[in-house]
Amino acid sequence: MRRPRSPARRAGLVALRARAFVHAVRRAPGRYLVGGALMGLVAWGMAVLVDRGVRWIDAYPLIGTIADAALRRSVEAFVTVLVLAVAFSVLTTAITTLYTAADLPLLLAWPLPAERVFRLKVFETYLASAALPALLTLPVLVGLGTARGAPWSYYPQAAVAVLALYALPVAAGSLLALLLMRLAPAGRVKEVATAASVVLAAGLVVGLRALRPEQLAELTPEEFEAFLAGFASLDLGVSPATWAGDAIWNGLSGVVSPALPLLALVAWASLALLGRVAAWAYQVGWVRSLDGSSRPRDPRPRPAAWWERPLARWGGGGAVVVKDLRLLMRDPTQWSQLLVLVALAGVYLVSTASLEVEGQRFRDALGTLNVAFLGFLLAGVGVRLAFPVVSLEGEGLWFLRTGPIGATAVLGAKFAYAMPPLLLLGLGLGFAQATLLDVSVNLASASIVAGGLAAIAVTGLGVGLGAAYPRYDATQAAEVPVSPGGLLYMTLALLYAAGLTLLLAYPAWTTLVDPAVPVWSTPAGLLTGALAVAWTTAFAGGALAFGRWRFVRYESGCD
Amino acid sequence: MIEVEGLVKRYGTHLAVAGVDLRARPGEVVALLGPNGAGKSTTIRAITGLLRPTAGRVRVCGHDVVRAPLAAKSKLGFVPDRPYLYPKLTARELLRFIGRLRGVQDGDRRADAWLEAFALAPVANELIETYSHGMRQKLTFAAALLAEPAVLVVDEPMVGLDPRAARQVRDLMRGHADRGHTVLLTTHAMDVAEALADRVVVLHRGRVAAEGAMAELRAAAGTGEEGLEAIFLRLTEEASEGPPPWGPAAADGSRRAGETAGRGG
Ligand SMILES: Nc1ncnc2c1ncn2[C@@H]1O[C@H](COP(=O)(O)OP(=O)(O)OP(=O)(O)O)[C@@H](O)[C@H]1O
Ligand SMILES: [Mg+2]
Repeated sequence: MRRPRSPARRAGLVALRARAFVHAVRRAPGRYLVGGALMGLVAWGMAVLVDRGVRWIDAYPLIGTIADAALRRSVEAFVTVLVLAVAFSVLTTAITTLYTAADLPLLLAWPLPAERVFRLKVFETYLASAALPALLTLPVLVGLGTARGAPWSYYPQAAVAVLALYALPVAAGSLLALLLMRLAPAGRVKEVATAASVVLAAGLVVGLRALRPEQLAELTPEEFEAFLAGFASLDLGVSPATWAGDAIWNGLSGVVSPALPLLALVAWASLALLGRVAAWAYQVGWVRSLDGSSRPRDPRPRPAAWWERPLARWGGGGAVVVKDLRLLMRDPTQWSQLLVLVALAGVYLVSTASLEVEGQRFRDALGTLNVAFLGFLLAGVGVRLAFPVVSLEGEGLWFLRTGPIGATAVLGAKFAYAMPPLLLLGLGLGFAQATLLDVSVNLASASIVAGGLAAIAVTGLGVGLGAAYPRYDATQAAEVPVSPGGLLYMTLALLYAAGLTLLLAYPAWTTLVDPAVPVWSTPAGLLTGALAVAWTTAFAGGALAFGRWRFVRYESGCD
Repeated sequence: MIEVEGLVKRYGTHLAVAGVDLRARPGEVVALLGPNGAGKSTTIRAITGLLRPTAGRVRVCGHDVVRAPLAAKSKLGFVPDRPYLYPKLTARELLRFIGRLRGVQDGDRRADAWLEAFALAPVANELIETYSHGMRQKLTFAAALLAEPAVLVVDEPMVGLDPRAARQVRDLMRGHADRGHTVLLTTHAMDVAEALADRVVVLHRGRVAAEGAMAELRAAAGTGEEGLEAIFLRLTEEASEGPPPWGPAAADGSRRAGETAGRGG
């Protein structure tokens, strides 16, 4: 027998969340307005770029006949990569939203069927892991539609196809997470999930490497055309990505593909299944990994570790660094970021090493491009490594705010904590690409200096803006930059990288004209170097000062 | 020594504290009382530098909390009402962190003494996430007292403590004051305030409703030889306060009549 439901209950949980969001917007409308405007700007830019690109390809004489198929495969490949990205991020997300969420006991204590609670949790998992990829995909599809002059019915179809497509990895990843929670040793489920996602990410990277994209550059136009033809006729088999591609391409010509309802049905069914299975698993206590570990206790006093001592001499700031390092070691969602970083650096190095370029001039040109790319790469890494470090203080902030430690020392400690991995990456990659590409001395030094400077700027920008726009309520580092502050960081970091590239264009140009001429000892070279340092200091110092100013004024629980 | 002068705190349009003057001297335990939402925690958060006052001044040992925050905070030990302790640190690591933050000499030795005193030594190397509420509360006290602060500020110390630990915490605060330090606490436990406090400050709707030693309060409330609870209730009376919806006055006659009838049958 069904229990009668009151209207209030039916409106229920999602409405409750929606209302909480509305209240948050009301309290700080400016922040959401700016964030929304920035996001709209980025989406608009992407759509315009894609529109132009599609028009250009459609008009390109050599590949005219297969342009359409090649485009379609590209879109499918793009969404496939994002599907994999969702699949790998959902593992840890599912554990935090589905099983260890703080509000779960409260919700389950309400007189609601557990399945409804878990339906909400599935929805949250979907939002947390698929919303950003969907936001990245939709402008691409809009650009495609405008370039092809698609009918209005195309746009809702494309949106449904994308939203349904990303539901599949969410369901698959969450079910895998459930399995991990059963199999992982007690109290170790996050570690196991993290290890699994790192393996998945490494597999993704290796798979991309297997395509050897740099070979494309070596092809003659005829070979390139043959390659494209092969790519265009490539049959991915029956995969959800091809269903989505089918739905989108039919939509372009105003036809509703049968693949679309199929995709939507499979997505809906798998999410519904996930909700049921999760509720069942939670209730019968199947997820035993939630229980803590039970090592035998060893109460003997433990002295400070050897690596703590030099830091401890620095006083309050050092104490914060030691504490952060300890927390890092014990939080797999944090240290896994470092593993991803190592994988990224590996891919970058292998790609650079496999470039075989004849002629010093070409190598130097490529080296210049790589310096530019290095800045952008560091900006992307900093959003994960530097931006969240202040927010990760979380509720523990009261120790710092009621302790005798100033904002300068706090930000200094956070800077010192975030800097080493970024500096290592910047200097290391700068040095490696200079040697691997065998560029001229002028550019080799420029490459290393640029790597170091970009690392400093990105750390300063990340820590400073992260302190200015903190999210102390975030449950993991990946959530923190999903905010207007994160967008501001990204914008400024890219601006910085672009400016640095422009500055380095001078030594690059001189070198290209005559590699033997010394650059850095000339007045113009010195001026370039000084400008690069000033540019870096302005970004890092400005962001840190702004962050300090806002950090001093921050009031806990009043934002 | 804590000096609060004309403290005002506004959350948006809501006036939480509307001009509070407060003073706590060395060697003195001052209890801050008041109904839920009276502004006790807000006052305390302004004293500890967690909030910026909308108006007014707060000084700790003569240092203005807004203008010279480091000097003021170095004199201060704080136990918040809902303390968050890093769950992934052990008790020993947490106390070491606090010791370094506050520049405590021989911090490790002192930390061990506190762990011993609170019977936390057997679990000192376990992660804090495995502790019970009371164990966390005791650890928060150890962290606050590690640097032997001249001013100890405690927001609701007794919540969730077993009788032995409650007694211990009481003695601890008294002892701290007796060593010449200042102790300010809020509590809803009238017996604790009565037994412990040299002076009582009653907050009501963001204002000081009454202040003084027990005898002075009795005079202010116009009551006889009553306990603090009666004085408290008198001082914070709400004109609009009606009986609770589930109380006997709210239950209508028919229900009571029905019950009687049922019993009679
Ligand atoms: N962050 C906040 N934002 C808005 N209003 C707040 C905030 N914190 C407290 N208030 C309001 O300020 C008033 C005083 O709150 P406060 O926490 O100081 O009360 P309290 O005396 O400590 O009460 P309790 O005995 O329940 O702990 C209350 O009306 C509360 O609603
Ligand atoms: Mg309170």
